[in-house]
Amino acid sequence: MTTLLVLLLLIAGAYFVAVLEAWISNGRFRLAAPLYATIALLGRESIVPRKPDRIFFEVGPVLLLLSALLAATVIPLTPDLIITELATGALFINAALVYVLVALLMAGWGPDGAYAMIGGWRFLGQLIAYAMLIVMPITAVAMRAESLLSTQIVVSQLGLWNIIYQPLGFVLFFVASMALAFLPPFDMMIAKGELAGGVEAEYTGARLAVFRLGRLVLIITLASATAIFYLGGWQGPWLPPWAWSAIKILVVTATMLLAGRYMPRIREAHLLSWCWMLGIPLALINILIVGILVLEFP
Amino acid sequence: MSSLQQYGLLLGLIVGTVGFVLCLYALARTFGKARQEPGKDVPATAGQLSRDPVWVRYHARYYGYALLFLAFDMEMAFMYPWAVVYKQVGLVALLDMGVFLAILFLGLLYGWSQGALRRQ
Amino acid sequence: MIAGARLATLSGLRRLVALSMAQDLGVYLIPGPEIAGVYGLDIEATGMHIVASPRHASVLLVVGKISPALCEAAAVVYAQMMRPRVLFGIGTTELSPLPEADILADVSQQGLMEGVRRLRIALAEGAFNPAVSDFDAPMLQTRIEYTCSMHPEIIQDEPGSCPKCGMNLIPRDAQARMMHAHTEHPKMEGVDYSGMDREATVEYTCPMHPEVIQNEPGSCPKCGMTLEPRETQNTHHDHAGMSHGDMGHNDMAFMSMIDVTMDLPRSSDGLPMDWIDVPFGPFFPGLPGGLLLTLTLDGDTVAGSRAGTMTGNEPLLLQSAMDINKFTERLAKLEPLAPVCYQVLACLAIENAGGLDIDTEIARARAIAVERERIVSHLGWLALFGRQTGFDWLLRRATSLQQDFLHADIKQIVALKAAILDLSGRLQHTPLLKSRTTGIGRLGADTDKILFGPVARASGINNDVRNNDKIYGDLGFTPAGGKDGDVRARLQLRVDEIGHSLALIEKAGITIDSAMSACHVFATNNIDEASGDGEAVIETPRGLARLQLGLENGRVKTVQLATPSTFHLGLIEKLTAQQELGDALVTVGSLDLSPWEIRL
Repeated sequence: MTTLLVLLLLIAGAYFVAVLEAWISNGRFRLAAPLYATIALLGRESIVPRKPDRIFFEVGPVLLLLSALLAATVIPLTPDLIITELATGALFINAALVYVLVALLMAGWGPDGAYAMIGGWRFLGQLIAYAMLIVMPITAVAMRAESLLSTQIVVSQLGLWNIIYQPLGFVLFFVASMALAFLPPFDMMIAKGELAGGVEAEYTGARLAVFRLGRLVLIITLASATAIFYLGGWQGPWLPPWAWSAIKILVVTATMLLAGRYMPRIREAHLLSWCWMLGIPLALINILIVGILVLEFP
Repeated sequence: MSSLQQYGLLLGLIVGTVGFVLCLYALARTFGKARQEPGKDVPATAGQLSRDPVWVRYHARYYGYALLFLAFDMEMAFMYPWAVVYKQVGLVALLDMGVFLAILFLGLLYGWSQGALRRQ
Repeated sequence: MIAGARLATLSGLRRLVALSMAQDLGVYLIPGPEIAGVYGLDIEATGMHIVASPRHASVLLVVGKISPALCEAAAVVYAQMMRPRVLFGIGTTELSPLPEADILADVSQQGLMEGVRRLRIALAEGAFNPAVSDFDAPMLQTRIEYTCSMHPEIIQDEPGSCPKCGMNLIPRDAQARMMHAHTEHPKMEGVDYSGMDREATVEYTCPMHPEVIQNEPGSCPKCGMTLEPRETQNTHHDHAGMSHGDMGHNDMAFMSMIDVTMDLPRSSDGLPMDWIDVPFGPFFPGLPGGLLLTLTLDGDTVAGSRAGTMTGNEPLLLQSAMDINKFTERLAKLEPLAPVCYQVLACLAIENAGGLDIDTEIARARAIAVERERIVSHLGWLALFGRQTGFDWLLRRATSLQQDFLHADIKQIVALKAAILDLSGRLQHTPLLKSRTTGIGRLGADTDKILFGPVARASGINNDVRNNDKIYGDLGFTPAGGKDGDVRARLQLRVDEIGHSLALIEKAGITIDSAMSACHVFATNNIDEASGDGEAVIETPRGLARLQLGLENGRVKTVQLATPSTFHLGLIEKLTAQQELGDALVTVGSLDLSPWEIRL
């Protein structure tokens, strides 16, 4: 069935993101490394910190995985390959991705440890910065497509991809999705140098495996969302639709992973002030421009 | 598929994922329980054993931004249906929403001028 | 057979798991990656990856000899690692209270690779073991102490009632004790603390503005009302674990939020929030290993800090009259981050004490060895800076360049000049780096603190021992300078100094081997009968170090050493006050402290 196929492709994509990330940071391309890492993680001990908030501690990683998966269910890889073609697809993506914040806050508060708690609260600050910059470009995309149906959004880009039609929205959405997936340079909540692992530090064994899987699925979901909202999804000459989808998703993923290597971590105060003083006015201007363009060139 | 069926599928997906995670935990448990040793369950703080609880009132410095975020979030809830019918309605839609956004933008400018948009 | 195995028999699926664990090794470095770098060890080349939290690590790698206090902290880290865990010692000696090292290797890259190979085999075979024993150590034990929720300073070991208010004492876990750390006294900056530490004195406060507290009667500066007297309560800033809810008194009146928060110290925006004490050390990934930093955090702002070193204050003289060769070696061993500098310093001081002239050739060779060490040290600092700020590219580039410099001869060093220029250029054009580092941790030129080395030069204070040295003058030495005194200026200055040192090495044209051997010999042969007092200074990569010693018949009798990191340790408190946590850590890192050379 399509559901199973899409889920398998998602897991394969997440696996590939892991290989890509290791390649980018180590310089070694080891295809079996995530497999070894998963088996090793399952075989290690797994403890619960002393006096934790047990519910939060357990629910955190699972909720991260769940929210990424739910967001992925409305993303079409080809016109038929979509798990649920919800009429409110674009809105549903946003609704599902909000739970990433809840998951990370739970993961930060649960273990009753200093580094984790600071990491969790910092992510809330990051959400306040990026949330508007995810939602406003999606609105502009929906204006062009006259619908929130994700397949309709892709079809509306026939002829001219949104990246050229609304480049401002693309840049904002790309940066905001890197912040959502807490990739470097927006990775203050799992920062190795500043918080010694932060939110991720207190998870061990199987829970850490679920946390990392959730993070990988989140990255690939956001890359797919960028591809269908701005890069025309499965459209393209010569190659079959699924090949174009795969190529676009992989290119976006590689760009997201590479961009953070060459910059230091951004300060939270800077992220907030740039997003609110620069980002939101730009997003509003983007909506205005798209509104005029949609009316002028039907 | 009707929309109820779709949401049913999503619910099934949620249950399935939770089940998958529990299976993973059970698989990890077959390798043995974790050995409780002294000091192992204290949160790792780079070499010092710090058992103090940290569930205190956290002083978040971004509350100025958070208040403005609430206003804009409510606005976005209205913008989604507006975006869908925008092309149909035409210029009037642009002007209506433009007024709404302009008022909110003025709020943003006011907050900016009063020093809400900085680390408190 | 490893001590940290899991309790099970190795069969079936577990064999597969053990094999996977041998392939996926996460290593936690003690005392830190910068020590491994200076010893010439390339950890990433062995296939292990360095992790930030002991919970993600399967290997605890101890490099070099560490003090008993650091051994205790390493034991805490070992206890927090998940089984199966391996203890790998490189060049270590006694490690108690840690168990015996599972794998031992000598300090070289081949030793490391060989050790990792043996480690993988040991892990694949010994990850699951039918017989394991717990790891226990004295500092891991929990102590329950009893305290009063209203008076946190009352601490007793048995339950009872509070001597001040009569309430039942509530149990709580003991706080972590400071293990043999030499620390400075904590002070909180930016807080109205005027009445905080006194015992039941009378203060005057305004009924409208409870944050206004004065010791004499008068009028409120905010509203002009006369201040009313009030008894203080001797409160501790740390309210974690204390709940105002369980008062225990039935006749206690309802306390409004204003009453409850009246004595809490206020933050810079006027809100009273709870503060927590968080240790950042000694093995924190972004800070130099051995540095014990405890920050009092108000949200994610630093409200106070305490810094100290855990590397042990070992005596400089092992016996009352020490042989001069043994003394120079000991001084070099005590400071693994800049051994050549201290060895040369000892030689200079001994020759000065003996009143002997120094041969120009030997002095030149020593200068080249010191400059090479400066380059290696600054590259190690750049790697630490990259690790701290999440700047992955810089971390990897600086680490690989540091290894290249350590193993290079004179021709290769000159060839690396292009790489250094490229690094410098890339750092100029890195986005976000400027905003990350400008204006942080600023030390003006008019500061009243004692500054040395790059920290001083970045602030515009041009004190450099090499200015007055004829050898350096002949080689065309110009001191690098900056004027802002913030983290960006220090970063820029250290990169510039690498380039300058490279130019000096190129101009001198001496081979590295002859330079290194000049650090061991003494300038003349009748050093064995010399007597007298002498002193010498040298410009270490961190600043000016001064050694004063007394010789008697060729043996060292008295020694006094002043190092730059000792002075810079005192800067931390003032510099990190009211800074955001990330900025505070970057500031501490920019001071380039070497905990090994801090002598308090």
